[in-house]
Amino acid sequence: MRTITLPARCDRAATEALLPEFQAALGTGALSIDASATQQIGQPMLQLLISVRRTGEGATITPSPALREAARLTGLEVALFEGTMA
Amino acid sequence: MTPEEIQGIFFVECEESLAAAESGLAACKAGTQDADTVNAIFRAVHSIKGGAGAFGFEALQAFTHTFETLLSDVRECLVPITPTLVDLLLRALDVLADHVTVAREGGVAPEDASLIRELEGAMANAAPAHAAPVAEEPVATATYDEEDLTSDFDLDAMLNDLAGSPPLEELATAEALGWLIHVRPHAGAMRNGGEPLLLLRELVALGAVPAECDVSAVPSLDDFDPHQGYLGWTYSVPEDVSENAVRDIFDFVGDDCPIAIGPDAAIPPVQLDRPKAPPPPVAAPAPLSAVPAAPRPAAPAAAKPAAPEAPPPPAPEAASGSAPPAAPTPGQSIRIDLIKLDKLIDTVGELVIAQAMLAQRLQNENVQSSEELTLLESLTRDIQESAMSIRAQPIGSVFSRVPRILRELASSTGKHVNLQVFGETTELDKTVIERLGEPLTHLIRNAVDHGIETPEERLAKGKSAEGVLTLSAEHRSGRILIKIADDGAGINRARVFSKAVEKGLISPDAQMSKEEIDNLIFAAGFSTAATITNVSGRGVGMDVVRANVKDLGGRITIESEEGKGTTFTLTLPLTLAISDGMIVKVGDQTLVVPLTHVVESLRPEPKDVQGLGSNRQMLNVRGRFIPVVSVAAQVGASGAVTNPSQGVLIVVDTESAGQAALMVDNIFDQRQFVIKSLDTHYRSVDGVAGATILGDGRVALILNVDTLVASAIESGFGLQAA
Repeated sequence: MRTITLPARCDRAATEALLPEFQAALGTGALSIDASATQQIGQPMLQLLISVRRTGEGATITPSPALREAARLTGLEVALFEGTMA
Repeated sequence: MTPEEIQGIFFVECEESLAAAESGLAACKAGTQDADTVNAIFRAVHSIKGGAGAFGFEALQAFTHTFETLLSDVRECLVPITPTLVDLLLRALDVLADHVTVAREGGVAPEDASLIRELEGAMANAAPAHAAPVAEEPVATATYDEEDLTSDFDLDAMLNDLAGSPPLEELATAEALGWLIHVRPHAGAMRNGGEPLLLLRELVALGAVPAECDVSAVPSLDDFDPHQGYLGWTYSVPEDVSENAVRDIFDFVGDDCPIAIGPDAAIPPVQLDRPKAPPPPVAAPAPLSAVPAAPRPAAPAAAKPAAPEAPPPPAPEAASGSAPPAAPTPGQSIRIDLIKLDKLIDTVGELVIAQAMLAQRLQNENVQSSEELTLLESLTRDIQESAMSIRAQPIGSVFSRVPRILRELASSTGKHVNLQVFGETTELDKTVIERLGEPLTHLIRNAVDHGIETPEERLAKGKSAEGVLTLSAEHRSGRILIKIADDGAGINRARVFSKAVEKGLISPDAQMSKEEIDNLIFAAGFSTAATITNVSGRGVGMDVVRANVKDLGGRITIESEEGKGTTFTLTLPLTLAISDGMIVKVGDQTLVVPLTHVVESLRPEPKDVQGLGSNRQMLNVRGRFIPVVSVAAQVGASGAVTNPSQGVLIVVDTESAGQAALMVDNIFDQRQFVIKSLDTHYRSVDGVAGATILGDGRVALILNVDTLVASAIESGFGLQAA
């Protein structure tokens, strides 16, 4: 399972930088996303994560407390962390 | 407009916002605040925050965020207004001003971590990182707990939400909590470092809980564009949170993040931006396509259209543009480049000269007076006054900095000072205002450091522990009078005298009047501070103050009473460009004596003038003797009268030498003149302040009365033996 690691600061710039990586990883099976070091997260990255989970074979995310909190704040916990969702 | 220009406007507005917040907090401190005062402070800080976000000043944005959150609690009456709180808010405002300065001029951001903690500690919901920026201990920021979440929302509801159309009954459950707000950040809300999640975080801080997140618009990875806003939310807000409090959160982003409120409203539709959004704060371009969100059944048009009707304005404008109507509405105004304004003033100056020349020419042609000429004269004066009034600004802009100076002084010297301000709406020329700041700051620091005693000393003298500093400004006969008065110890003349002797400024046996001793403190290198503090005491202050005031064409005088206090009075011209003066004849020369110095003019009887030694003469003005200075001798004019009783004596006030009587042949006019600098056109000449063009086209020198009299007195009045 291919793992993509998210940086500490997941702002729009990080989202832009990671988009090609995710696109390249399409078709290699379900993804594992390591977000355990993420300190800060913005809407663009949340959208990207949702998009990743809805595309191809889906993805599982290992969240940091910051990401968990952001997900709870936005009501996105299910969309991000439940199952692998594709 | 370039981004730099827009940023420039942002900083101008920051200054305005800071001033508004300062005056609001001053009202709170005085206990005269009303509901709108706190609102105004909140708006001011809020608009700085918005701009800071738009321009990517992260430190500024983070600080304003915390500041604003506390203000929001104050506004909601969750936190009571106490003197401690006002003090904290004032300190926060000072740091905010520093942040703005750093954002504008660069440098190291002020140390604000401890203050942020203090602000957070003062919040109604003083959770450890209640309003911290995204990075810090985010788990702790949630203001609702696990239980709320599970009891009011089951996960099934959320799962349904994910499918795009939640069943109505689930919404009803959410509604029972309070009311609903629907939010949809568009691409514009994420531009320039904007982060919609910060807004949602504020919403949650108010107690809102997410009821629905519409993810239906998120495309697959192939079509994903990180610049677009795909998500939309519905939050349930507790009953007791006002709609305005929520609207305020989204005020700044305006159309970039539309909201809809009410049970019948729906999440605003997705609005995709042009792919790869254009650079910075240009107004958002028209959307290429508007994809409607999956409409909810039985959801008619939004009951309360939330987004303002106006087109998306550039970032800094948004704050003022969408401010609630409760804000004081200033008259419409435009910003003008100062250079253009200066050019207008210059041209008006030329017009004044041309008008004078025309009048002179007509007089030569024996047209003594005509209606047209009188009309032209009054119109010219009107135009001149209007042009001047454009530049005029209330002195309040200088006075408003004083509270901060006093706060800093209070923390460094332990002397608390009560400030009283009068006449802050008095207007004077912008140039004068700009250059007044420095001398005024010096005088205030001086008053607190040297004038006002320590609380213990004050109590021992039977005064209140808090000193009183009074600032006032008023117009008086074409000049402006600014007074800085303290109720401190007054000037200790014995100490000033002995210090001046010690410094070699005067001889130990000098006989000096009180005024002369007072004036010693303006001597270069003079300082009586027992210890050098970082406030004052380096002896560079007062002489600089006097030089600054002199450069402005003004004068500074002292009145001091031991034990009662000291008053510094600055007399300044209203403008630096045009002035009133007496046109005098001295031998073959035509000269101008600025009216600001003139006390009176008289033709003396021979008995009024008495000789003193071989070449000095004194004029007896109602029992007081003042030196007679021959202008002719000073400027080297030939053929002038030498007998005072044949000429005219003009009694003038000077700064260094008290009053003196200038002897001239005669005065032949009193009129306005346009000051042309001699320094820029020729070079600086002692005794001459500048030049002007007279009605007949000739150039006349404007006397610098201060230096002229001072040098005459040094050289023994410069009077030929009479």
